[in-house]
Amino acid sequence: MQASRARLFKEYKEVQREKTADPDIQLACDDSNIFKWTALIKGPSETPYEGGVFQLAFAVPEQYPLQPPQVRFLTKIFHPNVHFKTGEICLDILKNAWSPAWTLQSVCRAIIALMAHPEPDSPLNCDSGNLLRSGDIRGFQSMAKMYTRLAAMPKKG
Amino acid sequence: MDSEDYVYDSDADDYYDYSSDKDYNNEDDKVEEEEEEKKMDNIAIGDYDGETRSNKKAKQSYIVLKESDIQQRQENEITEVSNVLSISKAAATALLLQYKWSVCDVQDEWFADEERVRKKVGLFEKPVFLLPKKLRKVELTCSICYENVRISMMGWVSCGHPFCRECWEKYVSVAIEDGVGCLKLRCPEPHCNAMVDRDSIDLFAKEEDKERYSQYLLRSYIESNKKYKWCPGADCEYVVEFCEGGEKEYYDVCCHCSNSFCWNCMDDAHRPVDCETVAKWQLKNSSEAENTAWMLVNTKPCPKCGKPIEKNQGCMHMTCREPCGHEFCWMCLGTWKEHGEMTGGFYACNTFQKNKVEEKYNEAEDIRKRAEKHLEKYTHYYERWAGNESSRKQAVKDLKHMQKYYMGRLSDLRGATEAELKFITEAWLQIIECRRVLKWTYAYGYYLPEDGDKKAKSKRGFFEYLQGEAESNLERLHHCTEKDIHDYLDKKCPDKEFNNFRAKLSGLTTVTRNYFENLVRALENGLEDASSQEACSSQEACSSQEASSKIKSRTPIKRERTKGKRRH
Repeated sequence: MQASRARLFKEYKEVQREKTADPDIQLACDDSNIFKWTALIKGPSETPYEGGVFQLAFAVPEQYPLQPPQVRFLTKIFHPNVHFKTGEICLDILKNAWSPAWTLQSVCRAIIALMAHPEPDSPLNCDSGNLLRSGDIRGFQSMAKMYTRLAAMPKKG
Repeated sequence: MDSEDYVYDSDADDYYDYSSDKDYNNEDDKVEEEEEEKKMDNIAIGDYDGETRSNKKAKQSYIVLKESDIQQRQENEITEVSNVLSISKAAATALLLQYKWSVCDVQDEWFADEERVRKKVGLFEKPVFLLPKKLRKVELTCSICYENVRISMMGWVSCGHPFCRECWEKYVSVAIEDGVGCLKLRCPEPHCNAMVDRDSIDLFAKEEDKERYSQYLLRSYIESNKKYKWCPGADCEYVVEFCEGGEKEYYDVCCHCSNSFCWNCMDDAHRPVDCETVAKWQLKNSSEAENTAWMLVNTKPCPKCGKPIEKNQGCMHMTCREPCGHEFCWMCLGTWKEHGEMTGGFYACNTFQKNKVEEKYNEAEDIRKRAEKHLEKYTHYYERWAGNESSRKQAVKDLKHMQKYYMGRLSDLRGATEAELKFITEAWLQIIECRRVLKWTYAYGYYLPEDGDKKAKSKRGFFEYLQGEAESNLERLHHCTEKDIHDYLDKKCPDKEFNNFRAKLSGLTTVTRNYFENLVRALENGLEDASSQEACSSQEACSSQEASSKIKSRTPIKRERTKGKRRH
């Protein structure tokens, strides 16, 4: 318990100090609970998510960093490796390939990388995976773009 | 930064140089260990000699090993690889784990392409992360807890990525907690493939975790080796090594925990029946198929809703259970509305009689009759199979009871040593073994073709004769062992009579053993003897008699032999 809190506190301070270091990621800790975090990440450029801002929710276990945090999308996203309804993410480093040397910040970076490079062979969102696997890049991109526009962009007017 | 500052130097400090004092075993050690192994083998076989004699023929085919024996073998293989490849024992262990404990594979792969193997397993020859040289006081940030820690308080594996010892301990502990996957634990650094080997576990882990780790190691060794299997007995820790060979394999194994099992299918020992038949029989016993047959015989479906109904008493006027509530006649299955005085009253149904004459019900009736016959046959065999099994279990209990309460008394009363009273234990062990064989002959009998050509018929006759004889032989032995012994627990009984009893019981044990051995052989040969007998006679009784004379003529000769042995 104490070890995970100490480590999270260090990450918290690091985030405060380097707030502007990575303009694509804004990590914030829950005011009353250091084990709950949220992040805003920018959709990577040259992807259908470009221009969108996506919110992530972190639930950190007591065994952290020996065990990975649980992360899910709060913002709706059309992506083969993200569950369309729950926002659950299928990413190896959040499961068996987790290393205690990863941080919440680096997890965010890995998720941005996943947005740019989907893995259609292990899909959580089958519709999206099937579009990519059948080679319908345009179909996939227009769906993803539409959801980005609907859910991840500030409403105009 | 000056590159000189970043040279990894393992000699710089004794403390974190845990990699250099790994003991490479010298030749003397190896010889010693080999001798030990030989000794151990002798002990194992010697132990086995004390087991029931019925298994004696199988003596060459398997060895029961203690956990420590296996550990020794594992250690020997690790040492061998360590010597041949000139690497630490921990590295050898990592290699063997990767190649499923095959010493040959490890050596082949290693000498074919050492670099590739090192990469695959995660054994780095040189660290990829270089530590500042001769700067013990330098502090580095542990990238798990983010504390600044002195290098002397840090640890690393072959890659050199440093983490503080506290984090290492937790990292290793969580992995071991997680299960057998800890045997392939990697460096905590993201994407680093370096193996956390046994030496590092020894260095970082808590005592109880180390213990569990070596348990996992042993388990992996046994489970990847096709020669070894755990005894499936409850709480049994022995491992059985099976040495394949010989023309026809018999897999029955008797563990030191007195559990006998089949090494092939891991079910209970089942000679003379083969594994396939056992599987079929067990499936049959557990399956719903027999229930279906019972339902077919004893129930009829409601003509309206189709639910099966068992009629156990009362008249022919049936009322199906709510919500169906259909009223119908049990005999003809027509609606009850059309029934009454004119169809013959409540206990008969003219419609049925009439239809029967017209042969309308024949087909359904036929199915029911056949199912009934089949069920009857199955029940016959199953009851006897189960009966012998419970008899066997009871005999195991009786033997324990006898050893606990009567042996001491008998020994005092007769002034006989434990060894002199061994014949009683032997008789019980023989009973247990015979009950087991007899049990399986019922599964054998169930699958033996019923009708067919002459050959099949004579086989069945022969089989039933053998089985009957076996049964009465065993009953005689069982009775003598169980009941007669009580006479000799009385002080008044003269010693001479007790000696007679000893001779009688030993004799009976031997005869029964020989009979059952022949029975097992005959059944395993598919009752081939029956057909040769058949040539001279077509009548069952006759063939059985001849067969019996054959079996009987065998017995006395064997008996003579064993007796002769005993005298020497």
